[in-house]
Amino acid sequence: MFWVTIYFLLNRLLLKFWAWAVPKKIIQLVWIGLAQACLRPCLLKPCKTLKSQNQRRRKRKRRKKTKKMGKIPPSFRTSTVPVTTLLKNPPAVLPKQSTVLETPQKPHHFPKKRPQPSGKTKKTRTPIEDPKSPVIFNSPNLLDAKKLFASITTTSTTPLDFRFHNALLQSYSSISTVNDSISFLRHMIKSQPSFSPERSTYHILLSQSCKSPNSDLSAVHQTLNLMVTHGFPPDRVTTDIAVRSLCSAGREEHAIELVKELSLKHSPPDSFTYNFIIRHLCKTRALSTVYNFIDELQNSFQLKPDLVTYTILIDNVCNGKNLREATRLLEVLGEAGFKPDCYVYNTIMKGYCILDKGSEAIGVYKKMKEEGVEPDLVTYNTLIFGLSKSGRVKEARKFLDIMAEMGHFPDAVTYTSLMNGLCREGNALGALALLEEMEAKGCSPNSCTYNTLLHGLCKLRMLERGIELYGVMKSGGMKLEKASYATFVRALCKEGRVAEAYEAFDYVVESKSFDDVTAYSTLENSLKWLRKAREQGLAS
Amino acid sequence: MLPQRVKRAITENPKKLANLIDLANLPSTLREFVGQSQISRLGCFMRVWSYIKANNLQDPNNKNVVICDDKLRSILLGKPRVELAELPALIKLHFPKERK
Repeated sequence: MFWVTIYFLLNRLLLKFWAWAVPKKIIQLVWIGLAQACLRPCLLKPCKTLKSQNQRRRKRKRRKKTKKMGKIPPSFRTSTVPVTTLLKNPPAVLPKQSTVLETPQKPHHFPKKRPQPSGKTKKTRTPIEDPKSPVIFNSPNLLDAKKLFASITTTSTTPLDFRFHNALLQSYSSISTVNDSISFLRHMIKSQPSFSPERSTYHILLSQSCKSPNSDLSAVHQTLNLMVTHGFPPDRVTTDIAVRSLCSAGREEHAIELVKELSLKHSPPDSFTYNFIIRHLCKTRALSTVYNFIDELQNSFQLKPDLVTYTILIDNVCNGKNLREATRLLEVLGEAGFKPDCYVYNTIMKGYCILDKGSEAIGVYKKMKEEGVEPDLVTYNTLIFGLSKSGRVKEARKFLDIMAEMGHFPDAVTYTSLMNGLCREGNALGALALLEEMEAKGCSPNSCTYNTLLHGLCKLRMLERGIELYGVMKSGGMKLEKASYATFVRALCKEGRVAEAYEAFDYVVESKSFDDVTAYSTLENSLKWLRKAREQGLAS
Repeated sequence: MLPQRVKRAITENPKKLANLIDLANLPSTLREFVGQSQISRLGCFMRVWSYIKANNLQDPNNKNVVICDDKLRSILLGKPRVELAELPALIKLHFPKERK
């Protein structure tokens, strides 16, 4: 019981710590360009050193790679990490009828809490003293909100600081209109003379006005003007919040407009905001829009793209299989005085691997060596993946040894790529042997390893081994992937083991591996095929 | 092969799936079994399959065959024994055909 309490308190504490750490963290993470969803993994471990940040960056790259490149191999994705949470913004936090205050979703408005004292002193704080106990505004009506506010202020015994007011405003703004929120803020200032709004208070309003679906920027301007008149001219953080909110609401054109305007009047975006918006534009708009935007900022405000920007651009064109443009960007990058780093090379190598160009991928690797850029784990994983994919498993195998020599230990991704290559070659037994080797070396296979193997075994008509493997997966509670499930079901039907195919269907539904509709239509198609085969006397 | 085909089916031909998910008005026999007046084909299949599992209607000697009880017989064309492989096709009979 004691430990449970401690654990609970500790969690709370860390959440809080996260809340104040975010403004900085966000900025640190911006260039990574993943929105809040990405912040969650590091929620409990705010890391400070550059090294850990690098690791995170690498991790992200690897994850992304596992996802992006999983296109053709059936089961290459790490399903331990729900990829959707990484790539998509969390749903644009739309007004809900009741929003509890302390959602960890949007703490970036709450500025620094008091400097973190040692954990012990804080642990003793009971949650009751916490001024931010959940308050729920039920109606967007201003009068109701004022009443509620009055009742809170009169009953509260502890002095209320501005954080409390921020929280209230945040909660109210999530269900009300911009104008009502501004009025509510005015009301709070008037009735509580001790409360003086901070920059963060206005940021709440700003993000609300950015998220409201307007056809122009008038609401945003209104809030910005309010900030200026109260002595808070917009700064970098303001720009950042506005850009992020606008982008998450799908108002990219407005974001561009606002960035230009803010650069002119107040504060230009810093490199994190800049790269965030570039990344977002790459995802949602045509490449020419992105180039225009970059040119405009460069010409009017001397804001130059940095190496990260180029990496984002190259990544984007590589994913679009436009390698020529990637090569051109590489030249531009050189002309701008940058030296491509490991990440740029990895991205380009990935581009070649998508196109099954093994030799070019090796070329990139050699170039890295020439330029003195040290290949990292991602480089080797990409290379091994690309070679396996283009049917050059033997060479891929060689790189397994090379990477071990260089001090990078092959992980589940490496082995899964190799197994995928072996299965494609028709060497399922080799893949199984590799699984043993992998486990012997202390690298535990993940669900995509198993999915790859299941797929390969079923394709290569080694159903018994496949069923065995499926048993292991089931006992480990691993999810099936669509491709391996489909192959498995088809193989079972081919052997006339329909009941087992039904059982696999049940497992998919039960483990929520993917949607029931796909699971069912796959099963139905296989059975349809079976009927036809039987009619022709091909199956038992 | 299959997953790509399924994917293509979803992206190119959403109606094909709609036929699986859309609620359909049920004929009286099925209505009695399901206890609802409307259900999707997928939902209906799940009901029947879980009914089979719950009542242990699979032939213990050959799991691929279902030995129908009276209730099941009423919706599966009165057959005493039904192969699991036929089940989706038999259920499909109750539902309106795809419009082309």
